[in-house]
Amino acid sequence: MSRLEAKKPSLCKSEPLTTERVRTTLSVLKRIVTSCYGPSGRLKQLHNGFGGYVCTTSQSSALLSHLLVTHPILKILTTSVQNHVSSFSDCGLFTAILCCNLIENVQRLGLTPTTVIRLNKHLVSLCISYLKSETCGCRIPVDFSSTQILLCLVRSILTSKPACMLTRKETEHVSALILRAFLLTIPGNAEGHIILGKSLIVPLKDQRVIDSTVLPGILIEMAEVQLMRLLPIKKSTALKVALFCTTLSGDISDTGEGTVVVSYGISLENAVLDQLLNLGRQLVSDHVDLVLCQKVIHPSLKQFLNMHRVIAIDRIGVTLMEPLTKMTGTQPIGSLGSISPNSYGSVKDVCTVKFGSKHFFHLIPNEATICSLLLCSRNDTTWDELKLTCQTALHVLQLTLKEPWALLGGGCTETHLAAYIRHKTHNDPESILKDDECTQTELHLIAEAFCSALESVVGSLEHDGGEILTDMKYGHLWSVQADSTCVANWQDLLSQCGCGLYNSQEELSWSFLRSTHHPFVPQTCLPHEAVGSASNLTLDCLTAKLSGLQVAVETANLILDLSYVIEDKN
Amino acid sequence: MLSSMAAAGSVKAALQVAEVLEAIVSCCVGPEGRQVLCTKPTGEVLLSRNGGRLLEALHLQHPIARMIVDCVSSHLKKTGDGAKTFIIFLCHLLRGLHAITDKEKDPLMCENIQTHGRHWKNCCQWRFISQALVAFQTQILDGIMDQYLSRHFSSIFSSAKERTLCRSSLELLLEAYFCGRVGRNNHKFISQLMCDYFFKCMTCKSGIDVFELVDDYFVELNVGVTGLPVSDSRVIAGLVLQKDFSVYCPADGDIRMVIVTETIQPLFSTSGSEFILNSEAQFQTSQFWIMEKTKAIMKHLRSQNVKLLLSSVKQPDLVIYYAGVNGISVVECLSSSEVSLIRRIIDLSPFVPPQAFSQCEVSNTALVKFCKPLILRSKRYVHLGLIGTRTFIPHCVVLCGPVQGLIEQHEDALHGAFKMLRQLFKDLDLNYVTQTSDQNGTSSLFIYKNSGESYQAPDTGKGSIQRPYQDTVVENKDELEKTQTYLKVHSNLVISDVELETYIPYSTPTDTFQTDETLKCLSLERNRLTDDYEPLLKNNSTAYSTRGNNRIDISYENLQVTNITGKGNMLPVSCKLQNMGTSQSYLSSSMPAGCVLPVGGNFEILLHYYLLNYAKKCHQSEETMVSMIIANALLGIPRALYKSKTGKYSFPHIYVRAVHALQTNQPLVSSQTGLESVTGKYQLLTSVLQCLTKILTIDLVITVKRHPQKVHNQDSEDEL
Repeated sequence: MSRLEAKKPSLCKSEPLTTERVRTTLSVLKRIVTSCYGPSGRLKQLHNGFGGYVCTTSQSSALLSHLLVTHPILKILTTSVQNHVSSFSDCGLFTAILCCNLIENVQRLGLTPTTVIRLNKHLVSLCISYLKSETCGCRIPVDFSSTQILLCLVRSILTSKPACMLTRKETEHVSALILRAFLLTIPGNAEGHIILGKSLIVPLKDQRVIDSTVLPGILIEMAEVQLMRLLPIKKSTALKVALFCTTLSGDISDTGEGTVVVSYGISLENAVLDQLLNLGRQLVSDHVDLVLCQKVIHPSLKQFLNMHRVIAIDRIGVTLMEPLTKMTGTQPIGSLGSISPNSYGSVKDVCTVKFGSKHFFHLIPNEATICSLLLCSRNDTTWDELKLTCQTALHVLQLTLKEPWALLGGGCTETHLAAYIRHKTHNDPESILKDDECTQTELHLIAEAFCSALESVVGSLEHDGGEILTDMKYGHLWSVQADSTCVANWQDLLSQCGCGLYNSQEELSWSFLRSTHHPFVPQTCLPHEAVGSASNLTLDCLTAKLSGLQVAVETANLILDLSYVIEDKN
Repeated sequence: MLSSMAAAGSVKAALQVAEVLEAIVSCCVGPEGRQVLCTKPTGEVLLSRNGGRLLEALHLQHPIARMIVDCVSSHLKKTGDGAKTFIIFLCHLLRGLHAITDKEKDPLMCENIQTHGRHWKNCCQWRFISQALVAFQTQILDGIMDQYLSRHFSSIFSSAKERTLCRSSLELLLEAYFCGRVGRNNHKFISQLMCDYFFKCMTCKSGIDVFELVDDYFVELNVGVTGLPVSDSRVIAGLVLQKDFSVYCPADGDIRMVIVTETIQPLFSTSGSEFILNSEAQFQTSQFWIMEKTKAIMKHLRSQNVKLLLSSVKQPDLVIYYAGVNGISVVECLSSSEVSLIRRIIDLSPFVPPQAFSQCEVSNTALVKFCKPLILRSKRYVHLGLIGTRTFIPHCVVLCGPVQGLIEQHEDALHGAFKMLRQLFKDLDLNYVTQTSDQNGTSSLFIYKNSGESYQAPDTGKGSIQRPYQDTVVENKDELEKTQTYLKVHSNLVISDVELETYIPYSTPTDTFQTDETLKCLSLERNRLTDDYEPLLKNNSTAYSTRGNNRIDISYENLQVTNITGKGNMLPVSCKLQNMGTSQSYLSSSMPAGCVLPVGGNFEILLHYYLLNYAKKCHQSEETMVSMIIANALLGIPRALYKSKTGKYSFPHIYVRAVHALQTNQPLVSSQTGLESVTGKYQLLTSVLQCLTKILTIDLVITVKRHPQKVHNQDSEDEL
């Protein structure tokens, strides 16, 4: 009989946001995430105090998954950011910081949650529709016929993760590799429905970053001894491949629920082995050149196949099965006999390669969308960070393929957006409020809170005590070194805006971001020549940022709407 | 020793419990309600405005609290709505009951029991009240619903006979429902989503069985996707199975599918049998036979154009392989509910591999429109284009949200909405006892209506109030003697009402009291009527000066005045009944499916109003008292709904307007546009009354250290 235990009563707390403890924990989380943000963000070292794995990172996905959050409100915030990151990979810190800022700013106002939530929703939909509109002044079209903008996009992602510890040269190298890996996954004959391939990231932890490379096809790691035993195949045509998903070890398969009685002196193992050897004979007679098995191949069968100049590789593992199926065009075989000839696939060639101390068996495809990205780094933790960054970049490229636009990065989108919203709420509040019960004053208050939340996100790009300015024409972001005393001559101090689209040679006027200034109309509709000339832009993924913005506001609204927290103490 | 472990199950204790619960639920009731965050022991967080979920999450220990929670959840299981209202209403009822006994000098009903302790005496009295409650529920409530309330109902159907539903009224109903269930930002979106889903799934032939289907299998009919904004949620055609293909072979054209519930590959031995291996060759041949057999079955399926195999169990590698070779896609490990849903939609029985092969057709196949993988946020699902039946076109809801907790909330709310619709589409049977005496069959409703019409809306000025009242008196002159007898009969009632008035410091009981007072005056001297009337008014205004601002006071005065005039009209009717002698008759009628009322406490205010009218007419003191308590408690609900509103939309204003409209026989004007189901409200009311009856019948709560042993019914087995 199972032990029954009475459930402990839950703990119920009202108005959770007003308590001091929640405020402090929220501000601690905010300080953690803001200090990580941007190319000059500070790194965080996460370890458990008993030794073991140490993680050095500034990425939201690594940071939040290692952070042990106990307070339910923080949990909502962090899981919401994590869920966003797992679907879009990018803009996690942006989402987290914006959410914290919104909660903090709005709380100060003391308006009712209903008003706040309603207006926040109006403002975010205003942002979204602006960012999606043709007149948007902070997004540029992505041209897939040239690599320039795509490289900018990848480079911006790499530079925003300082924990990868890349030099300028390495950054260039890795961005080019990532872009190549991505382009290799796009099928050549793109008709109608495109199914992207896959880039497999292969770790090489004792090499320099600059040694990283991309190879088409799949690399299977093997011990040197094993590789030596494989005989080189000399064949001009493509190689025939058989891929097994069932075990070839000679186990006796499931015999059903009843009992099987085996008479004395009968060896089932021999019977199964006979069956395996028959299978081997069939493979040989079908002129198979390469046998791959997800599980274990019986040594006798292996021996038999090798004798007949068939390469047999076992223990491939379930992760490689799908790319292998895709690349070779095989049907994974689950039978020990009567194999249909359609189940065989092919590869163009195989060879053995050596990178550093590791040996690989390289399957070269005929024409396939699978490639391997050999990622090198000397350090475990930097490799982990680099891998995450590469995955992010590959994902961002995929998202950009679906929605071929990029947003100006470096904080320019945020300041521009804030300027746009300020202008809109001052000049046309009726169109935002429409049929609502909210007043214009409430709208101005909330819009100010919203804009300053956006601006403090970019404010946290600056970690070295510098000042952040915005220009009054484009609404872009400009940053100044900390020790600049002369305020009169901004033009000489500033060189380029955050995204790199504009330089200070133009006749612009600047003001401090945090100071109060009159709302102005930021210039909409980017001129085409402006985009074409700039070679080194900082760009953000549009899809990820849009979702990040929505998720941040939705989460902030959720948290602001809480009236009770019921904690289950069981 | 026992006493240390036992606690008196009194109304006081129940009230304390209910008040705590009320404090929690009242924060998330109505359109202005807020969210509550619950953590699970596993560390997951859940956002909820669902009263039932909140109450369960509290893990209450108090026995009465647990009983209340049980009542709520059984109510929810049936109706899917009203948990928060349940608690608020129950709390107000208990408050009303507590108020009666708290200041009571001499016990109301059980004078004869004096030897017992006070507690037991109380319990006995509670028993009387609970009996009165049951009587009310079974004999009176339905009658009031049928005779008075029903004329305010409107129908959700555009044509009642065919039960066709128009989108706009469904939208109004759902919007109002989701207002109380999901976050303020999302209720419009979610109700649109639900509307879309509803109209995409339903055909013109859809009956209530479709609601049952959706209600029963709601979990299988929706997919949650975290990490996306809520606005990405959508309705998609077909069925989404929350697994990936084991083998996927793209296919188009005529796709047939089969369902299997066991492995297709024959096994060496089935359970209970024995397989004896005598030689190695025998083993090999059996293996070969198994292989060939599997191959043949799959080939056979292929020849019958079967391109999809759904399996509730894991199939061996061999089966998967031959399926792939034959171009048959396979989905394994379907849950039993998924299988039963598919079988219910397309009426398909599982495929059993034939023992001997003939060229006969596989009978148990079904046609599907398409079958393809669906990728939602990098997770793969099976998307199945099942062909709908006459009554149901399968569709799925994809629910997106930043966190799982929010998705669960939306899922819950949608499920609840289907439960609510399911109830709404049923006819509701009403059975009640009525006292009829009139041969002409003139119901009191009719008379009341007439009398209501014969008077203009009473103005605020005093002069104008006096006038109609005097008119009444003139009219009633002939009946004056009858009135006196009536009053004698009802002297008890007056006393109890007086007491009630002092205990419940709110508007409505005083009305009755005043009416009776004025009636007394009436019988004594007609001329004194107007003089008496003024001090009464003054009393009233002083009584209410503590509440709210002056404007509210004035409106309350008006309210009382109108009530009194109304009462004057009612009087002859009651007398008539009294004189002719009453006889009880049992009536049954039914409320047609789809009855709705505007939201915002309309049901409560209406019922309150008619209950009070009823209470004034009825002859037994318990009946009067119970009706009054319920009538007053009902007002607690709109009061909670309009808690945060001020000015024109505050509760007193709304209430006064509604009562005024009722008395002048004008249509009620609601400040909100939404609709709500009358059935739901009615069921809520009965559930709360049942719960209250349960609470009242318990006199002692005894804590035991071990689990109460389950009493097994051995007798019935023996008899068999």
